[in-house]
Amino acid sequence: MSDYSSDDESNEEQYVLYKDRPEWKDVTPVKQDDIDEPVVAIDYTKKFEDCYDYFRAVVQKKEISERALELTQTAACLNSANYTVWQYRRDILKGLNKDLHAELDFIEKIIIKQSKNYQVWHHRRVLVEWLQDPVKEKHLTETVLAKDAKNYHAWQHRQWVIKTFKLFDGELEYVNTLLTDDVRNNSAWNQRYFVINNTTGFTEDVLDREIDYTLFHAKAVTENESAWNYLRGLLLHDKGGLSKNKKVTEFVENLYESGNRSPFLLAIIVDMCYEQIGDGGGDSKYSLQRAKELCEALIGKYDTIRANYWQHMLDTLQSSCKDEAGASTSGN
Amino acid sequence: MEPINIHKFAPELHRKYLSFILNGKMPSSQSTMDTNRSILMYFAVSGLDILGEIENIPKERIKSIIDWIYSLQVVNNEDLVSGFQGSTTLNTLENKNQGSNYKWSHIANTYACLSTLLILGDDLGRVNRQAILDSLKTLQLPDGSFKGAKEGVENDMRFVYCAACICHILDDWSAVKVEAMVEFILNSISYDGGIGQGPDLESHSGSTFCAIATLALSNNLDRLTKAQFVALRRWLLYRFDGGFNGRPNKPIDTCYSFWTGGSLNILDAYEFIHNKNNPQFVLMTQDRHGGFSKWGHVVPDPMHTYLGLAGLSLMGFGGLNEMNCELNITKRTSEHLKNIQ
Repeated sequence: MSDYSSDDESNEEQYVLYKDRPEWKDVTPVKQDDIDEPVVAIDYTKKFEDCYDYFRAVVQKKEISERALELTQTAACLNSANYTVWQYRRDILKGLNKDLHAELDFIEKIIIKQSKNYQVWHHRRVLVEWLQDPVKEKHLTETVLAKDAKNYHAWQHRQWVIKTFKLFDGELEYVNTLLTDDVRNNSAWNQRYFVINNTTGFTEDVLDREIDYTLFHAKAVTENESAWNYLRGLLLHDKGGLSKNKKVTEFVENLYESGNRSPFLLAIIVDMCYEQIGDGGGDSKYSLQRAKELCEALIGKYDTIRANYWQHMLDTLQSSCKDEAGASTSGN
Repeated sequence: MEPINIHKFAPELHRKYLSFILNGKMPSSQSTMDTNRSILMYFAVSGLDILGEIENIPKERIKSIIDWIYSLQVVNNEDLVSGFQGSTTLNTLENKNQGSNYKWSHIANTYACLSTLLILGDDLGRVNRQAILDSLKTLQLPDGSFKGAKEGVENDMRFVYCAACICHILDDWSAVKVEAMVEFILNSISYDGGIGQGPDLESHSGSTFCAIATLALSNNLDRLTKAQFVALRRWLLYRFDGGFNGRPNKPIDTCYSFWTGGSLNILDAYEFIHNKNNPQFVLMTQDRHGGFSKWGHVVPDPMHTYLGLAGLSLMGFGGLNEMNCELNITKRTSEHLKNIQ
């Protein structure tokens, strides 16, 4: 019998085509029906063609057997993105009442090798659903994320497991480890938001703690978009909006005073000005004049590739101020 | 200042590359693409369309490609799996033109096949519209998203977009609960203004494109609040750093010149980053034998080739055919769609 490692070149010589296997003698292979002038054709290997000829044959009858299960293993190894192979394999696993824990181990090895393949993650998810056993999932995703900390599939699987089985405990600590490794890891910042949003929510205390955490990291690396974005996300939950949290405005002003000109710093002050001007003011720090100076700095020096955008922001603000002035004059 | 043209655009080589994908035989190493041949075909044909090369394909060849696409159509009202398959992998002489085990359509392939038929000038006369719509209906989940096929396939924003394109092309939205679909999109907006593959997931330019294009196709862009619109536009503009990336703090990559660029285009915000030098990054990812790769000096592939050309078209570069971003086809082809509707 072949096994999944039949893909290895070292085993290539021992590999026996299905047409030469005694246990498949009773099956007539079925050819693929492609047209004479093929479109986007692939030069299949003999092994691929042979395997799929038998695959078509067993699918035709929907054979539920050990040999069909073994065949899906080879078929999946030759093309792990073939969702029909995986669906049929699951139908066989169910039909034969197989040990699904063994299947978890099997798919784990493939996921680790091919961690950007939708089908293998989906197979994993269905098995976990069937077993109602998420105990190995955090570890699996951590293994994958150790190699690529931003792997979208791994994060998606991890969030699904955490939400479905309420496994939020310890997740913030994990996020902390990742952010200590790389404070620019946007996936980890997103996970931080996900955890809080689905557990405590952004209560006043949590908000205060998170603002401290974020400002600490934003100060260490001031050109880190992820941290600034997270800060803006936090302030969505602040009743005062973007521009009225004292801790944040102090931080921002001090950073600016210190001579820092991170484009993200300048941008948030521009937005604070927008908010204050829109609200009818209140804080004289955040004036049209200040917004104008900052936009001009962004245009001329600190964010030149988005110069047209900052010009647009400035024009919009100036014309809205003019409209307001016009409206109040005509109202008098 | 004149742009520094260090990487010369080689449209003829790209035509050759895409023609090879379409008409030649890809090496066996591409066997993992076997179930997605229709999507590779779409990349090749739509890429040739951007290059203005469709009219140079011989008429007989256009006919044989169209026939191949129709050979992928499944009409099965009993199991509700109608639409198009991604390949002929499961097709045999015995099950020709009839339903059989696992012979199911996939939403991404239905979308890719319908788009390619349009690009090739077909009038969709042989498309079984009602069967497709009846099956599409069964793919929408209670949260408003779509799964890719009857069973065994995940659900996310990509497939929401495919559903929207199918409805738009067939000019019939009756199979979709549009309100639930819009809710799914709004629920997938992240704290940073971008949009993920679903609720709670990290913002990504690919899913953001799918979401915005769906809102545009279903006339629901106005469902974004002003604050959401402003934050989304800002998030997309920050994806630009000489080339485009797909997430904050990720490297720039050729394919995002369309996913991010196309999103900006739909929101009328592309002009904010317009610059004569913008094509340079994409041009740097050209392979000297034709095709584009995600970064320089790696093997080119059909997806990056297509999206690189689409991205260059958005930059108004190289006399390329203009894009209809919502549908991810050229305006030439979307005009053809209007004419047959």
